[in-house]
Formats: sequence, C-alpha cells, structure tokens
Amino acid sequence: MKRDEPENLDLLAAEYVIGTLQGRARQSFERRQRRDPFVARRVNAWEERFAQLSLRLVPVAPSAGVWPAIERRIGAASPRRWFSLAAAAALITAFTFGWIVWQETRPPLATATLASEQGAELWRVELTARGDELEVATVGSVSVPGDRARELWALPEGAAPVSLGLMPASGEVRLALNDRQRAALAAAANVAVSDEPAGGSPTGAPTGAVLYVAKIART
Amino acid sequence: MAAETARADDSEVAGLLAACARQDRPAFQRLYERTAPQLLACLLRILRNRATAEDALQDVFVQVWGRAGQFDSARGSAWAWLIAIARYRAIDLRRREGRVVAEPFADVDQIPGEDESQDALAALGKRASKALAMCLAALQPRQRECIVLAYQGGLSQSEVAGELGEPLGSVKSWIRRGLTALKRCLES
Repeated sequence: MKRDEPENLDLLAAEYVIGTLQGRARQSFERRQRRDPFVARRVNAWEERFAQLSLRLVPVAPSAGVWPAIERRIGAASPRRWFSLAAAAALITAFTFGWIVWQETRPPLATATLASEQGAELWRVELTARGDELEVATVGSVSVPGDRARELWALPEGAAPVSLGLMPASGEVRLALNDRQRAALAAAANVAVSDEPAGGSPTGAPTGAVLYVAKIART
Repeated sequence: MAAETARADDSEVAGLLAACARQDRPAFQRLYERTAPQLLACLLRILRNRATAEDALQDVFVQVWGRAGQFDSARGSAWAWLIAIARYRAIDLRRREGRVVAEPFADVDQIPGEDESQDALAALGKRASKALAMCLAALQPRQRECIVLAYQGGLSQSEVAGELGEPLGSVKSWIRRGLTALKRCLES
C-alpha cells in the first residue's frame, strides 16, 4: 500500500490517536496533520470514536491544590480589571443588541454542515433566530437519482428520529417546523440525512441508508 | 472515587469552551469542575502516578485556556477535544519519562477502572457509544485487547507485547488488522 493512499493515511491517523505511532513517524505525521486538512479530519474522526472509551473511566477528583495552581499559571485577574471588563462587556452587549434590532437580522440559533465521508460539504442547515424554520442551502454538488429523495432527520437523544423535511438537490429551501420537530431538534445532538423514495419516507421513520450525519452547533 | 454527579453533557462542555474563548474565567472554573475528574482518570490510567498526573492536569487546563478559541463544534464534540489534549500530553510525558515505563504498576490501586453505567456512555450520545462498543466487541479478542491497552493505558506496541506476553510482531499485526476491521465496522 502506498504511503499517501487515503486508506493508509486513515490507518496512520488511527495509530496516531491510539498512540502506537511513535518517534519520528509520530512527529512527521503531526506535521502532515497541520498542513493537510484531510489528515486532520481523519484524526478528528478517530479521536471522536475513541473518546467513548475514555468516558468509560471512573472519574477521579483532583486534589484541592490543582485548581489554584492552574489559576496562578494563567495569571489571576484583579477585581478592578474584572469590573472594567464587565462594564465594557455590558456596553458592547447593549450596543450589539441595539444594532441587531436595528438590522432586524439575527444570527441562526444553531447550524449543522452535512458533508460526505471525504469531507466535501454538501448542505448547510441553519435554525433561524426565531427557531421556527430551517434554512437549508446546498453548498456542494449533490446528485440524487430521480426516483429517490434525501430526507433530513433530527436525532433526539434516546428517542426515535423525527423527520424535518426533504433536502434540496440544488439551491435553498426553508422548512417550517412544528412543535414536535422543534422539540426533537432541541433534544438532538445530531442531524442525519437518509436515502428515501421520492416524496420522502412513507412510514415516518428512516427507511433507507443513513447517508450523512452532522453535529448540531448551537450558537 | 465514584462520580457524584452525572458527567457533563457535550453541549454544556461546548458552551463552557465557547465562554473560555471569550476569556470568561468563571466559565473556565466551571469547565474545570465539570471535566477535570474525567480527564484526571485518563491521565492516571496512562501515567500511573498521582503527582505526575495532577501536574499533567495543570498543563492540560493551561493549554485549554489558551486554545479554547480553536475548538470548533462543527468538527467534533467538546469532550473528544478535551480528551485528545489530555491523552496526547500524557503520552508525551510517558514516552519521555523512562522511569514511568520502568515501573508500570506503581500506584496500581489508584488507576481508575471502568464504569459501565448509562451516564458514562450518554455524554457523547448513545448512538455513537453503542457503535464503538459493538464494533470493539466484534473484533478478535487479542485485537481488541491490544487496541484498548494502547489507547487507554497509553502503552507502546512493545509494552503491549510485554503485558500480554506475546511477540511484538503479532501485536503489531493485531493492532493494524484490528484498526482496519474497526474502521470497516464503524463506517458500515
């Protein structure tokens, strides 16, 4: 297998993450990760997968001295500085609020970017500031067979997926949300897109393959 | 020590990191309170020494304070970001510190065990957790042991070989084949 083949890079990424890639190979892989976004994404993916093993460890309370030592190392802020920072923050907040009201546009409450396994972005989904609509924009080249559709789902934790609507093959759409969809989205960490017959899932649950999953970034 | 409260869920941790990026110190303290015990468990498992692990914990949080702005929730979860910083720090220290390797079982009673309770798996989302657990369970036992020892314990391939009493060549091939099988299973 050639060194630069994606399969081999992905395996190196896994070995880097579990720590068995060592010495000079580790250092050169670190450099490569900094300049190659594909490699960086593969490393992220493995870190994400394996993090679950770390979360299974029983937590251990640190000694009382650790936090004060950290505070010393990052440099303690004086109360006076705190006051002026707080005042500045309040001013900025007031100004920003006024500006936003004046503009009558507010940033989205949440966003998610659906991308292919190779990392090519396909759709950007934004929950509008009012929280009652999704704006879905096609950002990459999406190809959907004529007799199939791509359906967006909220994946609420511990509950069944809830359909949010059909994804556009090009351009933008707005999907209005009902209360059930809003609640599902609020309880979800991820959204997914599944392959469905034209017109969407006939059953109310995903029937085809789950093609893409994206984390919801809340702002 | 068992966890007294549920692990912070990922959106809480991501929110605290975003506040840290704005230099919000109370949020940084809250982040420490909510995540330091879990990160210390990761560090202890690799460094096997309380004082070394707590020094590393300081390093980790100093780094987190400086780099919080680089966390991007579109690229992954907040827990995975923190755990990666902690583990790489511990692995660096362990490989640099021959002494730690020479006494692998010092302080063995302080090395945290595993917690199979629901909340441990819930923090990152149940779907993802089940997938990893299922795919690890589907590996051949030796492949799984090698990968878990390397990841959780921060063991090098030769240390894994020593721990299992198996030849280094076999360990190398179990790890490569195990990771390949894991990838295929997780992506299917």
